[in-house]
Amino acid sequence: MRILTVIGGAALATAILCTVSGCRKHTEVAKTDPLLASYDAEPDWGDSTKTIPLGYQQAQGKRVFYQYCVWCHADATPAGPSNRSNLTPVPALLNDGATLNAESDEYVQNIVTLGGSAMGKSAMMPPYGRTLSAEEIRSVIAFTRAIAQPPYQPPGRPGSQYSAK
Amino acid sequence: MPAEEMGKVTDRMRFVFAVSSLIFLAVLAISPFKDYRREWKQYKRSYVRFAQSRPDTKRLTADYSPNIDQIWLPGMNVVDRCTTCHLGITQASLVDKSVPQPFRSHPLIPHNVRDWGCTVCHRGQGPATEVAEAHESTLAWEQPALPTHFIEASCGSCHQADLPQTPQLARGRQVLADLNCIGCHKLQGIERPAMLGPDLSSIGTKVSREWIYKWLKEPRTIVDKDGNVTVNGYETEEEPRMPRFRLSEDELKALSGYLNVQKAKPLAAYKISPVVVASWSKNPELISQGELRFRQMFCSTCHSLAVTRAGETKLIGGEIGPELTKVGSKVNPDWLISWLRDPEGYLPHTRMPKYGWSDEDLYKVTQYITTKLADSDLLSDVPKLDPPTDAEIQTGHRLFTEKGCASCHAIEGISPQKDFGPDLTALGGKNASELDFGAAKIPRNLVSYIQAKLGDPVSVNPAARMPQYSWNQPDLDAVTTALLSMRGAPPTSALQNLVVPRKEVAFHPTGSFAEVYERYKCYTCHKFNGYGGNLAPDLTYEGSRAQRQWLVEFLKSPQTLRPTLILRMPQLNMGGKDAATLADYLSMVMQHPAVNPAGTDAKQFTPTMAALGKQLYQVKYQCQSCHTIGGSGGYVGPNLNNAGGWLTPAWIEAWLKNPQALVPDSIEPRRNFTDEEIRALTAYLMTLRAGIKPQKTAAVANSHTRGQGAGQ
Repeated sequence: MRILTVIGGAALATAILCTVSGCRKHTEVAKTDPLLASYDAEPDWGDSTKTIPLGYQQAQGKRVFYQYCVWCHADATPAGPSNRSNLTPVPALLNDGATLNAESDEYVQNIVTLGGSAMGKSAMMPPYGRTLSAEEIRSVIAFTRAIAQPPYQPPGRPGSQYSAK
Repeated sequence: MPAEEMGKVTDRMRFVFAVSSLIFLAVLAISPFKDYRREWKQYKRSYVRFAQSRPDTKRLTADYSPNIDQIWLPGMNVVDRCTTCHLGITQASLVDKSVPQPFRSHPLIPHNVRDWGCTVCHRGQGPATEVAEAHESTLAWEQPALPTHFIEASCGSCHQADLPQTPQLARGRQVLADLNCIGCHKLQGIERPAMLGPDLSSIGTKVSREWIYKWLKEPRTIVDKDGNVTVNGYETEEEPRMPRFRLSEDELKALSGYLNVQKAKPLAAYKISPVVVASWSKNPELISQGELRFRQMFCSTCHSLAVTRAGETKLIGGEIGPELTKVGSKVNPDWLISWLRDPEGYLPHTRMPKYGWSDEDLYKVTQYITTKLADSDLLSDVPKLDPPTDAEIQTGHRLFTEKGCASCHAIEGISPQKDFGPDLTALGGKNASELDFGAAKIPRNLVSYIQAKLGDPVSVNPAARMPQYSWNQPDLDAVTTALLSMRGAPPTSALQNLVVPRKEVAFHPTGSFAEVYERYKCYTCHKFNGYGGNLAPDLTYEGSRAQRQWLVEFLKSPQTLRPTLILRMPQLNMGGKDAATLADYLSMVMQHPAVNPAGTDAKQFTPTMAALGKQLYQVKYQCQSCHTIGGSGGYVGPNLNNAGGWLTPAWIEAWLKNPQALVPDSIEPRRNFTDEEIRALTAYLMTLRAGIKPQKTAAVANSHTRGQGAGQ
């Protein structure tokens, strides 16, 4: 009798434990390297020891930048010398946060789409709205924001501090 | 137990029953609680709370259901429940990084998640409803989610033709092709070219046994001042095509001995005219003149030289041919002369064009190469090697096939090897349990396996026959991506129909043009109807773009139109007849269907129109920010000093209307010109003429480094 009670109790305890724990180990989701979780990366222009991970849109922006914009908006280009020093006024470096962080995405989108003269700036900046799609221009802006020095702080949005857990 | 007590319900029994009933009740209550606490249900509730914290709650929760959401695409084997937790995947307002995962929306890509599912690209276990099971490798599921860094591999499983959006994949495929991996492995979407490594049938006439020994031991020619062996002289640059085989001293001796006696085609030495030798050999200018010709002919477009400046050694020049810093101590001088005169005579399928040489140039350039591009210490660390013995030659012959040399190199008397290494056409879809990790201490997944195997083949398999390559991390990642994209034949016919094959139709013209085209190997750098290299302008529409007379002059004496170019059209010393043949063919055949050079008559342009055009150029549109005229202007576009002598007016008009319609990836912005503005700008450009002047070339090869990204 006593034995039956003990066995019954043990079986019950096991059943409870199994129900509660699910009878198996939970595997922890491994923490991934931020570079492995990124689509592409760009060396920090000001500090060659640092690499900035890029998401999909930013990586597409990097691609468009290195095809169309790098010639005037960087000091070194895939061909070597830059056209930047040829131009007056000197174009902003793409990572120049001091200049670009203050401008809204909409403003930068307009200046790339319509060109400098349409926005009251230098006509040396040609319009790219008929060459690049709006999405391509948005992606370049996303890339600009990613590599900005000092870093770009997006304007506060409601719910941005929300956490899923 | 006494008999009278049998069957009697004691208090004690009642107590046991009561307790166990309570326990069962509790257990029954736990199940619904556990169900309520399921991971995916927590994410669902969390999403609702999150949506309520956003201004567009209504839109975010319009399609919300508390149940499991599933994308079922039977044709593609897709049963994906990922959207059960990834609830914001199609919500454009949730794209920002500040949105917590798993609610962030998918970046805008050309494929809709409802039509494609998730695991087609991201892998992982679609039907799973727990985070770990969906993303990680489990005992029952060995295809974990692909790290985002290699996600372009998934594009490549269907898109075998390269896409502009997937540079890493394209680079990986390029490296796999450049390094001749196809020599030993079957690879998806990469064809075996006519020649991989050089044909070694007559290698004994070209280099010494000592040089072969050194090359086989460590196939890099440059050692820095500390004695460290760097990759082709420059630590972070390209891998040399020849990898390092782990050969023992005896193997090195046997192979170098065997190769040393390969003289299938005896060297036909060319004797430079004694008059030329006599007049130049004592001239103190001989070497500097040779160097000048070397630079003027733009050998550096295909070959690089190591240049040390400020303590840093860098390779400067192109990557099509071998690096030449110490080639003077490598090759037999008689071989060099006969090679320069007729490269195909020694090596069929070589990409080296046949230059037109005068004896004087040939003498000056070969003297420069053998004295200046040389290092008397190059072979000082090689042991003294006597003429090879028969035993060494026999062992070398055996090793040549045993080590896989015959996979890439042809040699007389040895039939080419195929499939020396494993078939990799389905490597990218392999499960971890199908891979042999050996003793390697690396995570048990496909990505780690590929990277370990590429980085150090012996670390995974001590008996590996695969040679050692030196990778930089971006190339290693790119090649990993390309290999991950090779998943064999798609499992379903619906997926098979999605494959976009790589198309490259070889352009082999006929007639007198063909002979000149093959001799100068124009296709090494230029594209013709989609076939050829991408180092130089695509010539598919050259006949519509350039005036015939300009083509003739340019071919006879090429000069660059783009001030920043480092790699320029080589001075091929082309005669007038060859230049005319090429120019005739280009202007008659390589036409754009929408541009008719005869359709626009330059005579219609008046000086008034040209004056207006000049004003538009300089003031309204400020074209000088990118183009140079008369020595001032930008470096981005071609210089327009001679636009009137170079371009056809019909091309200029069509170009100004829509540059991308003529050259799809041109960076020239498409403006909204009126027809009148286009005519005025064309009229102005047609007035610009400049005679062809000798170019300043001496300093150019030294003045720029190879392509580097901004900010590096």
